[in-house]
Amino acid sequence: MSIQFTFRPRVPVFDANVRVGDLHYQPSPCRNRDQLLAEMGRHGVERALVYHAQTEEVSPIDGNGFLEEWLEDRRLFPQWSIMPTPDSMAQVEALHEQGRVRSVRLHNMGYVGLPFRPWAFAPMLSWLSENRIPLWIPLPDADADELAMTLSAFPELVTVLVGAHYSHALWVRPLMTTLPNTYLELSRIEPLGEVEALCSEYGAERFVYGSWYDRLAMGSMLFYLHHSDISESDLELICAGNLLRILQGEGRHD
Amino acid sequence: MIEEQRVIDFHGHTGRLDRYNGVDDPALILHAMDRVGIDISCLFNIFHPDGTTGNDITARFVAEHPDRFVGFAYVSPMMAEGMVAELTRAIDGLGLVAIKLYPPYTQWDLNEPIWHPIYEFANDRGLAIIFHTGTDPHSDPGLLADCAAQFPNANFVAGHAGNVDEPRAAAIKAAQDHPNVYLETCSTFRTPGVIEQLVNEAGADRILFGSDIALMDSRPQLGKIITADISDEAKRLVCGGNAARLLGI
Repeated sequence: MSIQFTFRPRVPVFDANVRVGDLHYQPSPCRNRDQLLAEMGRHGVERALVYHAQTEEVSPIDGNGFLEEWLEDRRLFPQWSIMPTPDSMAQVEALHEQGRVRSVRLHNMGYVGLPFRPWAFAPMLSWLSENRIPLWIPLPDADADELAMTLSAFPELVTVLVGAHYSHALWVRPLMTTLPNTYLELSRIEPLGEVEALCSEYGAERFVYGSWYDRLAMGSMLFYLHHSDISESDLELICAGNLLRILQGEGRHD
Repeated sequence: MIEEQRVIDFHGHTGRLDRYNGVDDPALILHAMDRVGIDISCLFNIFHPDGTTGNDITARFVAEHPDRFVGFAYVSPMMAEGMVAELTRAIDGLGLVAIKLYPPYTQWDLNEPIWHPIYEFANDRGLAIIFHTGTDPHSDPGLLADCAAQFPNANFVAGHAGNVDEPRAAAIKAAQDHPNVYLETCSTFRTPGVIEQLVNEAGADRILFGSDIALMDSRPQLGKIITADISDEAKRLVCGGNAARLLGI
């Protein structure tokens, strides 16, 4: 394969993990939707699932409101954030009644000492499972034991584990094995040869491409995936196909 | 090789880091390099304060693929009395071509006198020294300015280019002020706009591609150079032109 100084993806790309808007301590490099679309265009990314930065550490409810101005019917699709409180649940349930919920993202509550345990999360997880709504879970905020124990109690719930870093290297395989309806998002999977190894062990059907822009630069993992020893059909699944299936409520493997 | 440009990865490790699934398997390293056109990876071993143990490991590793790997010597002021002798052995005897230092493993800022025998050695021979730099106070890349001024014939490379905003700004300032300061790009943070910032503010002729292989795969780290909003000419310098000049290879 000839390598060039310019790179464009060979397959359709639907980014599973894009953050928009300002953090309270860090302005975003993209100030508005047009700038985000331009950055996606520069990297050959057709569509993206977006959540608002304010949902990470300030307010899922307000952040979901701020997300509205970033959405675009054909290219930017909402990922609403959620936490197991009456107000947050009511907001997401109302959006669901409008037919606007295809996935949700877990707000980090370990920060304030609420563990991801069934006694605290069962009603929310049951509702998501019953309504076939997949849940994105950022690994930097997570506890491996809580994930394994709690998600095992909700076997029909489809989850996407986001942002596994090399510091999570020893978590990934046990979680993927224990939780058959869990996917791994690949924005930070950088251990040597790990993409090829994981696809070989679990099948490309278990992985989705996400850039985690604007936390991370948009193009580098896409370049990596296009220069990995995976088939074109597997590349298509990882870059868009699996995500489309998950968002259509068809993500279960068991 | 990318578009006839030889590609040199300036930052790589020998030795296993099993807790992070960091496996220094030559076959895996070469596979990753080959998939994206990386011709040469520079490797060092930072896990043994005597220097000797790790340098021997690196030399054996390089000897298996001398056309693809280049070795750097490691020493530590934790065993200061043997540093210069070990550098002499590693450079003259083992054929290693530059020096790697890791201040976070020590109790000394990188500009303190205990490090100076290493800098004098590099200065006498015109060698490059790559440091881990970042938020750790011993590894503040701003301190490289002191060293660069005192040892103008050595070249000082800020590994990770400081890694995050504040030390990165200090690294850029050191490069702006001293022609013998370079900035290397590997970082697990992969923050948007960093490659563009380094090239625009320090100059493309001062930036070196690095990946941190085998702790990390070299492909996404090269990908952030290839997908950065910089000119192809800048990419040529960053991907290999500068490293070839610095190492004389």
